Amino acid sequence: MQNSHNNAIIVLKNVTRKFGGKIVLENVSLAIEKGKTTVVIGPSGCGKTVLIKHLIVLLRPNTGEVYFKDLRIDNLGESDLNKVRTHYGFLFQGGALFDSLSVAENILFPIRQHSEITNWAQVEDLVKTKLAMVGLDGFQNYYPANLSGGQRKRVALARAIALNPEVVLYDEPTTGLDPIYSDVISELILKLQRELGVTSVVVTHDMTMAYKVADRIIMLHNGKIIADGNADYIRNHPHPTVQQFIKGQVSEDDLAVLRMSGTVSQAQFLPRDFQ
Amino acid sequence: MMIEAVGARTMGGVNNIGRFTRFAWQSLGASFRSCLSPVTYPLIWTQMHLIGVRSVPVVMITGAFVGMTLAVQAYDQLAGMGLEEHLGVLINISVVKELGPVLAAVMLAGRIGGALTAELGTMNVTEQIDAVRSMGTDPIRYLAAPRVVACLLLTPFLIIFADLLGILGGYFVSVVHLGINSRAYWSFSASGVELWDVSIGVIKGFFFGVALAAISCYKGFTCKEGARGVGQACTEAFVASFISILALDFALAVIFKAIYSTFWPLKSLV
Repeated sequence: MQNSHNNAIIVLKNVTRKFGGKIVLENVSLAIEKGKTTVVIGPSGCGKTVLIKHLIVLLRPNTGEVYFKDLRIDNLGESDLNKVRTHYGFLFQGGALFDSLSVAENILFPIRQHSEITNWAQVEDLVKTKLAMVGLDGFQNYYPANLSGGQRKRVALARAIALNPEVVLYDEPTTGLDPIYSDVISELILKLQRELGVTSVVVTHDMTMAYKVADRIIMLHNGKIIADGNADYIRNHPHPTVQQFIKGQVSEDDLAVLRMSGTVSQAQFLPRDFQ
Repeated sequence: MMIEAVGARTMGGVNNIGRFTRFAWQSLGASFRSCLSPVTYPLIWTQMHLIGVRSVPVVMITGAFVGMTLAVQAYDQLAGMGLEEHLGVLINISVVKELGPVLAAVMLAGRIGGALTAELGTMNVTEQIDAVRSMGTDPIRYLAAPRVVACLLLTPFLIIFADLLGILGGYFVSVVHLGINSRAYWSFSASGVELWDVSIGVIKGFFFGVALAAISCYKGFTCKEGARGVGQACTEAFVASFISILALDFALAVIFKAIYSTFWPLKSLV
């Protein structure tokens, strides 16, 4: 465990979140360190996205507390929260670009909302720089509908970093990207950290990326943190669920279910065939 | 078990009403503030174009058919009593006081309400509303307020269009088709329809506009996941707007009648 609270920028304390009767996060405590990249891994539906949305209080905890720079934010009103949120960038799973606005207008959106633009030439330069960072300079006048899924995600990333945030939260940044651009996103996260000291929190199940960018990896399972440490620590973690996840193996129980249901092929492979 | 289910339903309903009231209150506050800040004028302007200008043709057609149908239906009864020249009063007072405003508002609930709910619902499902929030902007101020303002300001104008075409439609059928004397038609109309009748029809428009915009935006903001969720939200938005328009119409009729008989106690008896 390396929870050094003195250097923490975002802190979750005993956060529990339920949807209906279902507990999605159970008593999660977590301190995100300033200037470090924290990667949250875990199987689909384990509450990763819910966790990352609590860091920016898009979702409020049922019980527990959220702090940003020692300021408690989970009980703030929306207008106070909006001030806090300008320190954050959030990359959504599907990009969440505004489809009625062009690429340039999407990137300008957060800037226009928080400042009066007077110098348009400077702003155009800014859009150009941000787009160049994600390899999409020249797409300023495209609309999201005319972009591929991967391009949309990269534009969304450009928008997330438009206000030069201190913290960038990435919700599945590489899903739907080809391996090359997944690596570009990884490099971008490293570059932001190196050059601007940005704190990143990445939710992913892409282990290549996790190993590449992470200063610290957290594994979430059924709403609880089951492993927390650097890449080597996770690689050698004794917990079978962690090992299965990082190696991408199906568990014995799941295999048994697969064999039970449907027609069983005569040529079915069993795990022992591979041993 | 039964009691538990009924209780849960009731709690759910009360919860929903509470959330809607809060939403409506917030969006009215945000609308008021956005009227004062010129930064949001372009947003309101765009919505006014989509909501108001594009709705003129359908609202006019609605009004025209209302007037024409009233003329055809009412003629026989009045002619049986030899009162066919009074047809103008009947048509015009029904059109400007009740049918014009209500049917125009219902038409708008279908046209605008559906579009607003579907647009905001899709934005909600694709996390665009969360994206607005994550960038430190209040989605009610950015998304709901311009739409509420546009509906509030333009529904009365659209009702005027509906009234106008309703009057012309009624005139056309009565005079040109049914052969009523044009001068008699207009002079009876002028004596029977007062400025009061026209104004309350138009004033109703403000209430209908806010109701349908607030309901549609609320349904869009609270839309459930998926294509089915958006469809369901649109249906609920239309039904809720329709019913609230009718209920508001009834309430306003009672209120305006009370006001009228307070100020002109004798006229209402004649």
